[in-house]
Order: sequence, then structure tokens, then C-alpha cells
Amino acid sequence: MRTIVTVALNTFRESVREKILAVALLFGVILMGSSVFLSPLAVGAKQKIVMDVGLAAISIIGVLVAVFLGSTLVHKEVDRRAIYLVLTRPVSRTAYLVGKLAGVVAAVALVFAVMTAVLAGTVALGAGAVRPAVFASVYLSLLETMVICSVVMLFSTFTTPVLTSFFTLCIFAAGSMSGDLKVFASKFGGAGMKGVAGVFYCLLPNLRVFNIRHEAVHDLPFRATDILLATLYAAVYSAVIIFFACLIFRRREFK
Amino acid sequence: MHVLKVDGVKKRFRSDMSLARREVLHGVSLHAREGEVLGFLGPNGAGKTTTIKVILGLIRADSGRVTIFDHPAGDPRGMARVGFLPETPYFHPHLSLDEFLAFCGALSGMSRSDLPRRIAKVVDTVDLTAHRGKRLKTFSKGMLQRAGLAQAILHDPDLLILDEPFSGLDPVGRKMVRDVLVDLKKRGKTIFFSSHILPDMEALCDRICIIREGTIVKCIGLDELMRLGEGKVEVTARGWRARMLPGIEEYVESKRETGVDAFLVVRERRFVRRVIEHLYAEGAEILEVAGERSSLEDLFMREISRPGPRTGDKKNEDTLVFTGF
Repeated sequence: MRTIVTVALNTFRESVREKILAVALLFGVILMGSSVFLSPLAVGAKQKIVMDVGLAAISIIGVLVAVFLGSTLVHKEVDRRAIYLVLTRPVSRTAYLVGKLAGVVAAVALVFAVMTAVLAGTVALGAGAVRPAVFASVYLSLLETMVICSVVMLFSTFTTPVLTSFFTLCIFAAGSMSGDLKVFASKFGGAGMKGVAGVFYCLLPNLRVFNIRHEAVHDLPFRATDILLATLYAAVYSAVIIFFACLIFRRREFK
Repeated sequence: MHVLKVDGVKKRFRSDMSLARREVLHGVSLHAREGEVLGFLGPNGAGKTTTIKVILGLIRADSGRVTIFDHPAGDPRGMARVGFLPETPYFHPHLSLDEFLAFCGALSGMSRSDLPRRIAKVVDTVDLTAHRGKRLKTFSKGMLQRAGLAQAILHDPDLLILDEPFSGLDPVGRKMVRDVLVDLKKRGKTIFFSSHILPDMEALCDRICIIREGTIVKCIGLDELMRLGEGKVEVTARGWRARMLPGIEEYVESKRETGVDAFLVVRERRFVRRVIEHLYAEGAEILEVAGERSSLEDLFMREISRPGPRTGDKKNEDTLVFTGF
């Protein structure tokens, strides 16, 4: 456990010293700030616009940061052989990979915390109140990013950063629509199409379960059990993905 | 007790653009006993670094067996007692030296209370105390090599595996590394290191293994190496002319010439007098007569100038094995 924490802390430290993290944060803050100027266009829905743009910015920036950090950190260590100094100590490859994932998730969580604080500040400045649903939505976005981080880790164990980023963003896009895919297949497709859609539905992460932005923005009720189930889903899906990542990473040779 | 045992390790690599796999280690076997300093010598591309990576579990052997303290290669129980310095080390550039060593110490399972004291000690040993707070990305090549040695000895390992530890160091740095290794040897640590710097190897090692084309061609103790040249005598003559050679040719094993001086290695002691008298008679001046001993350089050059262990061997052609799709 100490090994995982040590690797995670080092990864976190490395991540927060990356310039890209500051740039992403700045971009997110600018995006949220711009919503303040756009909101007068929607009469009577100023706070909703601010929250909608803010929550979307948090989710998208979080995913982009996760993809960038996850795809480069492992590859960089392998490519520059810094990994030799870790794996020639009493450190299992599984512990290394789990530590890396934990470090990247921690760095993304920091981005989420800063951006949520900015969002709350922006809403408060407009004399609005941040409802608990907003925090629940941010929490679910963080879980979504954790799932994406584990997918990034899986690809980064055997391919290049560019391909890792490409594959992960494809999975993010497909995962965001996996529910629609199943519905579409059941309405318009034949038996074969339904089967294929079913397989994709099971394999791809169902990222819809992490999206309650609509409820948060429009102050609609949401169920605590949904949050709990989404947490469980994220944990199990990430664990399975990391299990396969570890299987690949354990077989990998460092020439 | 054998701290490190490598038995019959074979390794094949697939080249990037082909399906063929080329064998780079052909049944490498060697061992290091407790408290021994074992040198690993070979020309570039002989398989030194590949062997070291197999030992450390960074790559898997296709066949054969590696044990460190009786544990398989890469087993955390064995690795806890190993310190490793890679060739041209690259460390996490975002860390300061202190942060880097704390990271390495934690990974090696050192207690938090021991770390600050050990870090201060090893940083002092490698003479980097003034640079403790600096980020590694600001370090020169020589400083990185020193930092690499510091992380290798930080957890006081029983076995040190060093890949070219003198690489990138100035004479002061080389002496520092040599002193550290001598101190570790005195403390009974086992050291296995590869190097191209033969005088350092000769000065430090108890035994030396020479690898060539992925095959160990010689493992020899330093005492045995010294005995190889016993009985020979080197005569240094000034005013040497080529015409002086007839008459003593049969007694002289080899000769080197530098301008007016010649260094003649006389095959046996009993011929020395005849050689000296002949040279005097021919008008040469005798500057020195000294007992000759075989140097590591002689042995190394002899071993690598022999027909290769695999070259020309029909079996070698079979090492290109197509593994299919």
C-alpha cells in the first residue's frame, strides 16, 4: 500500500508541475467567466446558463486533462527509462500502475476542486446559491473522469500517447452515447444489429450514468441511490480495466 | 553462497521491421559470490546491458534461470536487497535531489525516520550536498551519474548492480565512484558491474567475466590473470634498430617500438641474459628489465580477437527463427 501511495504522490507532484495543468485550468476559468457575459442573452435564466456552462467545462476539461496526463506520464517514464529506477526496487508492476492511476485521478480531482470553487464563486457573485445537486453533478463527473483515466492507463501500457489519446477520446464519445446506441438498435435494427449493439453496450463504459447536469441546472430531483450505483459502477468498471492493464503491463519488456 | 546466479540464459529479440527474431544471449551463465566484486566486460553490443536487464527482471529470459538471493529475477524479496545504477541514468526531472532520494527510499521500503539521515549521508558520499535542493533537470551528466549512485546505495543494499558506473564522470568523479566501491567491498557487499574502463576493473574486481556476441567467453579471477604472464620479462632498449632482431628472434615473444626505444617481451627468464648481451653487442642501451605480468587489456584483446564464439558457426545462422504471424 505504501508503494502505491509513494508512486501516486510522485505522479501527483509531477502532474501539478506540468504546465498543461495550469493552461487547462486557465482555459476552464475563462470558459466559465465567459458564461457570465453570455447569460444576459437568456432572460431570467442567468444562473442556469452559468451553471450549465460551468458544469460542462468542468467535465470536458477534466476529461482532457486526464487523457493528456494519463497518456504521457507512463509513456514518458518508459521512453526515458526512469521506470527502471522504480521497477528495480521491491515494487510490483501492479502497484506501479495503480499508483500512477491514483496520482492522475488526484491531479484531476484538484482541477475539479479549483474549477468548482470558481463556479461557486461565479454563481454567488450573481446572487445565486449553489445547490447540492451541483456538487453531486461534479462528483459524478469526477467518477466519469476516473473511468476515463483507467481506460487511458490501459492503452498507455502498450501504445503511443497519440494513439492512447485517440482511442480514449473515441471511447469517451462512444461511452457518452452507448445508451442511445442500444435504443437505436432495438428500434431500427435486425437481430444481428441488436446483438452487436448489446456487445458494445456491455463493453463500453456507460457514461450516461455520470451525467446529472440537467437535474443540477434545472433544480430537478435526483435519487441518492443513483449516485451510489454510479459510484459502484465506476469502481467496478475501473477495477476491471486496470486488471487488464496490469495483465498487459506485467508481460511488457523494457528493452 | 551465491548472491547472484545466472544459468543458461537465452534471449531473442524481434527486430522492429521484421518477423524474424535474433538471438542476442546464447546461454549466458555466471555467478557472483557473497562479498565478491564481479566485473562484466565486453565490446559494445556484446549483450552486457541485456544480461543486466534480464537479471533485474526488466526483460524476461526465453530460457534459463536467474536467481538473486535465491529468488527469481524481479521478485520483490530479492529486489529489496539490490541497488541498481542504469547506464546513462534518467531521473524524474521535476524532483529535487532530496525529493528524488526520498521517493527512491520510500519505494525501497525504508522507514520515514531513517530517510533524512541516510539521504544526508549518501549525498555527502557522492559530493552533492550543495545541490540537494536543486531540481534534477538542472544537473549535468556527471552530477546525474553521482545522483544515480546515491540512489543505488541509499537503502544499503547487499548486491549492487552497476551498468557503466564510470560513464560521464570526470577524473575526480571516477575516483569518487572507485572509493565508494572500495568502501562497499570492504563492508562485504557484492558488486556486479560492467565497464569499459579496464584499469578501474583491474583495480576493483575479484573476478571478471568477458562476454562476446552474447556468450560468456571467459570468467577469470584477478589472481589467475596475474599468473598468466608469470615467467616473462620485458626488456626496454634504447637505440633500437631493426637489424638487431636476428639472433634473438626465437627468444622474443613480442616487441613494441616507440621512436628509438623498443620494449621486448622475452619468452622465458633464462633467455634474458642472451637477449641483453646481444643488444649490448649491437650497440643498444638497456634502460629497464622488468617482470612481465598479463594485463586485463591483453586478455580482453586476446579474447575478442579470437574467431567469434558464434561467428562462422553454422548454428548461428539458425538463430534467425521465424515465429509466424
